[in-house]
Amino acid sequence: MLAEVKFEGVHKIFGTETAVEDLNLSVEAGEFMVLVGPSGCGKTTTLRMLAGLERPSYGRILIGDRLVNNVPPRFRDVAMVFQSYALYPHMNVHDNLAFGMRAHGAASLLVEQRVKETADVLGLGNLLKRRPSELSGGQRQRVALGRALIRQPQVFLMDEPLSNLDAGLRVQMRAELSRLHERFRVTTMYVTHDQVEAMTMGDRIAVMNSGRLQQVDVPETLYDNPVNLFVAGFIGSPRMNFIKGVLTTRDGKAAVRFMGATVPLSSSSKLIGDTADGDVTVGVRPEDMMWRKAAGPDSSLTFSAEVDVVEPMGHEAYVTVLCAGETVTSRFPPRSGVRTRERVDLALNPARLHLFDARTGESILQRPVAGSAEALKSAREAWIEESSAGRDLRPQAPVVPTQSEEV
Amino acid sequence: MSAVQAKRMRADPSLIVVPYRRVSVAALATNVVLVLLGCFFVLPMLWMIFASLDANPDWAIKLPSLTLTNFADVIGTAGALSSFRSSLILAGATTVITTVLAVLAAYPLSRMHIPFKRGFMLAILFASGLPVSMLVVPVYQLYVYLGWLDSLYTTALFLAASSLPFAIWLMKNFIDAVPAELEHAAAIDGAGTVRILRQVVLPLTVPGIAVTAIYTFINAWGAFIIPFVLNSNPDDQPGPVEIYNFMGSHGLFKFGDLAVFSLLFSLPVIVLYLFMSRYFSGAFSFSGAVRG
Amino acid sequence: MAVVAGLGPRLDRERFQWSSLAMLTPALALLGLLFVFPVLYAGYLGFTNLALVGARSRDYSFTGLDNVVRMLGDYVFVKSAWLTLIFVVGSAIVGQSVLGMALALLLRNAVVPIRLIVGSIVIVAWVLPEITVALVWYAFSQAGGTLSILLRHSDTNFLVVVPMLIVSLANLWRNVAFSMLVFSAGLRNLPTEVLEAAEVEGASVWRRYRQVILPLLKPTILTNLLLVTILNLSEFTLIYAMTQGGPGIETMTLPLYVYQEAFVFHQLGYGTAISLVLVLIGAVFSLLFVRAARSQA
Repeated sequence: MLAEVKFEGVHKIFGTETAVEDLNLSVEAGEFMVLVGPSGCGKTTTLRMLAGLERPSYGRILIGDRLVNNVPPRFRDVAMVFQSYALYPHMNVHDNLAFGMRAHGAASLLVEQRVKETADVLGLGNLLKRRPSELSGGQRQRVALGRALIRQPQVFLMDEPLSNLDAGLRVQMRAELSRLHERFRVTTMYVTHDQVEAMTMGDRIAVMNSGRLQQVDVPETLYDNPVNLFVAGFIGSPRMNFIKGVLTTRDGKAAVRFMGATVPLSSSSKLIGDTADGDVTVGVRPEDMMWRKAAGPDSSLTFSAEVDVVEPMGHEAYVTVLCAGETVTSRFPPRSGVRTRERVDLALNPARLHLFDARTGESILQRPVAGSAEALKSAREAWIEESSAGRDLRPQAPVVPTQSEEV
Repeated sequence: MSAVQAKRMRADPSLIVVPYRRVSVAALATNVVLVLLGCFFVLPMLWMIFASLDANPDWAIKLPSLTLTNFADVIGTAGALSSFRSSLILAGATTVITTVLAVLAAYPLSRMHIPFKRGFMLAILFASGLPVSMLVVPVYQLYVYLGWLDSLYTTALFLAASSLPFAIWLMKNFIDAVPAELEHAAAIDGAGTVRILRQVVLPLTVPGIAVTAIYTFINAWGAFIIPFVLNSNPDDQPGPVEIYNFMGSHGLFKFGDLAVFSLLFSLPVIVLYLFMSRYFSGAFSFSGAVRG
Repeated sequence: MAVVAGLGPRLDRERFQWSSLAMLTPALALLGLLFVFPVLYAGYLGFTNLALVGARSRDYSFTGLDNVVRMLGDYVFVKSAWLTLIFVVGSAIVGQSVLGMALALLLRNAVVPIRLIVGSIVIVAWVLPEITVALVWYAFSQAGGTLSILLRHSDTNFLVVVPMLIVSLANLWRNVAFSMLVFSAGLRNLPTEVLEAAEVEGASVWRRYRQVILPLLKPTILTNLLLVTILNLSEFTLIYAMTQGGPGIETMTLPLYVYQEAFVFHQLGYGTAISLVLVLIGAVFSLLFVRAARSQA
C-alpha cells in the first residue's frame, strides 16, 4: 500500500520561465516530506506535477515503481488537500466525502461505512448534512482533509492546507495533522511557505528557492548545518544574522575576523575542502548572540553594542542592536529592562558560528551535529511556544523581517 | 435593480438604524429625474394596457370604459391561439438546440487545450455581430435548395444557428467563473470528464444555463424577419408575424384587439425575465471584453 | 519554447483531447451549415445578378463589380446608408450610451423603491418583443396619440413629420436597458477603495466622475459602444413594423433596403451586395473600438 515517490531530473518550464529545475528528490514510503520555500520557488508546481495537474517538461516522476509522467490524476491513486479546500459547494459534507469513492465505483455500503469512520475521526459526525457554505473555516479544512483520508490513497498531497486558518486554529490543526500521520503513516508531500510548519511537522524538509532544490534533510540538520545562505536565512526565526567577515589562517590555525574581533575556529568544527583565506559571511543565530548577563561560560566572546529596537514577545524579547557597523538581532530573556540607545554587552559562543563563502553563499564550515542537542531542543520548543502564543501578537519587525512573517 | 442587490440594500443596517437621512438637493434631483424618465418609459406601455381594457380605444392614453370583450375577442379567434402555439414551438425548439449546443461547446472552449482557441473565440464574437439581413438571402436560397422552407422546425434551426455564437460566448464566461480547482479536486478524486461535467460543472452553472436559455428564448419569441422570410405557411405564423399582419389588415379599426394580442404575447417574456432577474445582471460584466 | 540542451524533446506539450472535438462538433456543424456557409455564399452572391423570380433566379452569373457600380449611382442606397449612420450614431452610440450611463449612475444613488420600479420598467421595455414596441410607439406617435396630446399638436402624426426621430426614439426606448445593465455591472465592479479614497480626498461629485469613474470604466464603455453599434446596425423589425421604410424612403435604413431589394424587388444579388456594405460598416466600427481599447491597455 505504501509507496515511495521519486523525482528524477524533473524540469518544468512555463513559456520562458523555469519553474522547477533539475529536481531530484525521493520521498520514502510513509514519510512526511515538507516542501518549503518562498512564494514562486516552484514548490507548488512540484506538488501539482506529482498530482498530475501539470506534466513535467523533462525528467521522470515515479510513484512506487510506476512511471506516472503521463498518467492522468484520476489513475494516480493520490489525494490532495487544496489551499482553498476546493469543496464542492453544491454538495453537503457527506457527498463531498463520498464523491471520490463513488467515482471509483465503491459499493454504497462501503461508502457509508467509510464516510462514517472518517467523519468520526475528524469530528464531523453531526455536520454531514451541511453545505460547505454553512461551515466554519476549521470545519471546511477538516472536510477537505476527510475527502483525502477516506480514499486511503498511496500518497497524500497537501498544498498549504493551513494557510487560510487563523493563528490559533493553525497550531491546533498542525498537531492534528501530525497525529493523523502517526496513525495512518501514508506517504505525504506537504507544501508550505511557513518554516515553522516545516520544522514542526516534517520527517524531512526539502527547501526550494527559485526552482532549485537547496537542501533536503531532517529538521535538526537543516537548522544546524544549512548548506548555504538561503537555507540558513530561511530556516529559523528570527532570522540568522549575517555579518561580513574575513577568514585568515596562521600557523595552520584558522580564525575569522568580524565586528572588530578575531575568533579562532573551534576545534569541533572544520572547514570544508580547501577553503582559501578571504572574505566570508559569518552567520550567527539570534539565540547564540546572547545578553552577557544571561550567557553561560561557553560564550567567551564579548561585544559592546547599542540597542536599536526592542521587541518584547512575552516569554522573551528580540533586541536589535548596532555593533561595529553591523545590525544584529539577539534573543533576550523577558523583562531585561534594556531600552533603545542603551549600551549592552553581548556574548557569543565561538563554537556556534556559521561560515559561508562570501561569493557563492555556500557553507564552508562543517559544524558538529549533536554537539549542542540541548540547545537545539530548547530552540525547537521555543518555536512551538512562540507560535502557540499567536504570531498575530507579534509587532511588525521593521529592521529585520523574519521569514515566518512572509505570507 | 436586481433582486439580490435590492435585498442587500434593504438589509443594510446603516439604512435602517440611522434615524434620519439628510435630504440633499442632489439626492432629490436624482430621484425626480428618475421618476420623469420612468414616465417616458411607462407611457407607451400604459397605452397597451388601457386600450386592451377599453371598449372604445383610440391612439391616446385615456381612462378606459372597462370591458373584457377585447380579451374575449382575441382569445376566441383561432389565429391568436395557433400563433401562440407556433411561437412556443419556434422559441422552444430554438432554445433547446441553442442551449444544449452552447453548453457542450463552451466547456472545451473554457477548459481544454484547443488549437487556435483565441482566434475561434474572436470569430464567435464577430459572428454574433453579423447582421441577420446579410444571412437571410443565402439562407433563403439554401432552404429553397434543401426544401426546408415553411417549416417551424427548420426555421428554428436557423434561429438557433444565429443565436448560437452569442450563447457560446455567454456560456463560456459562466463556465470560466467555476473555479478550476474544483475540477482538479474531482479529477484527483478519480472522476472522469463525463462525471466532472455532470456532477461538478453543470450543477454549478445552472444559473448561467438558465440565463443563456432565457436570453435565447426571449429573442426567439420576438423574432420577426427570419420566420417572416423562411416560413410563409399561413397556418403556423408565430406571434410577431401575426401581429404585424393584423396591424396591416385591420389594425386601424381594432385597437383593442391589437393591444390585447400584444399584451398577451408580451406576458411570457416579462414573466421569464422577472423570474430570472436576479441572475441577469451578472451576465453583463463585459469590462475589457473587447480585448478578447 | 525553451529547450534545455541535452534533455531531448519536451514531454509536456499540450495534447489535443478528442473529447473536446466531440463536444464542439454539434455546434460547429450547425454553425458551418447555417452560418459560415451562408456568410461565404453571401460573399459570392453579392457579386452576381441572382433574382428571386424569373430567368435570373436559375440562370444567374458572376457580374464582378456591377453591383458596386450600381450602388454608387443608386440615390436610394446613398440615402439609405446616410440614414443608417444617423440611426446608429444618434440612437445607439450617443442616445443609448449616454442615457444608459445616466440611468446606471442615477439608479445607483436613488432611493430603493424608485430604483426598483424604474429599473424594472426600463428592463421590461427591453424584453418586450420588438413587434410590441413597434405597436406601442406607433400608437404613441400617431395623430391623436399620447405624444401629440402631450405636445398640444393633436392633429400631427409625428411618424410622418419626423419619422427618423420617432423610430430612433423608439429604438432608444427599447434598447437603453442593455447599456444600462452593462454600465451598472461595470460600476459595481469598480474597486470601492479607489472611489472612497477620492471621496476622502474631497473631490467633488463631478470631478470624481470625470477623473476617477470614467477612466476606470473606459474598457466597459468601449465594449458597450462596440456591442451597441453592432446590434443596432442590423435593426430591422422595429423600423419595418412602424414605417416599412416610409414615408417615401425617409426611414429606409440599409437592413430595410436589403429586404426590399431582395424580397420585394426580387434582386437577391443586389440585396446581398448591400448587406455586405452593412458588414463592412460594422467591421470598421469594431476595428475603431478595438483599437481604442488596445491603445489604452
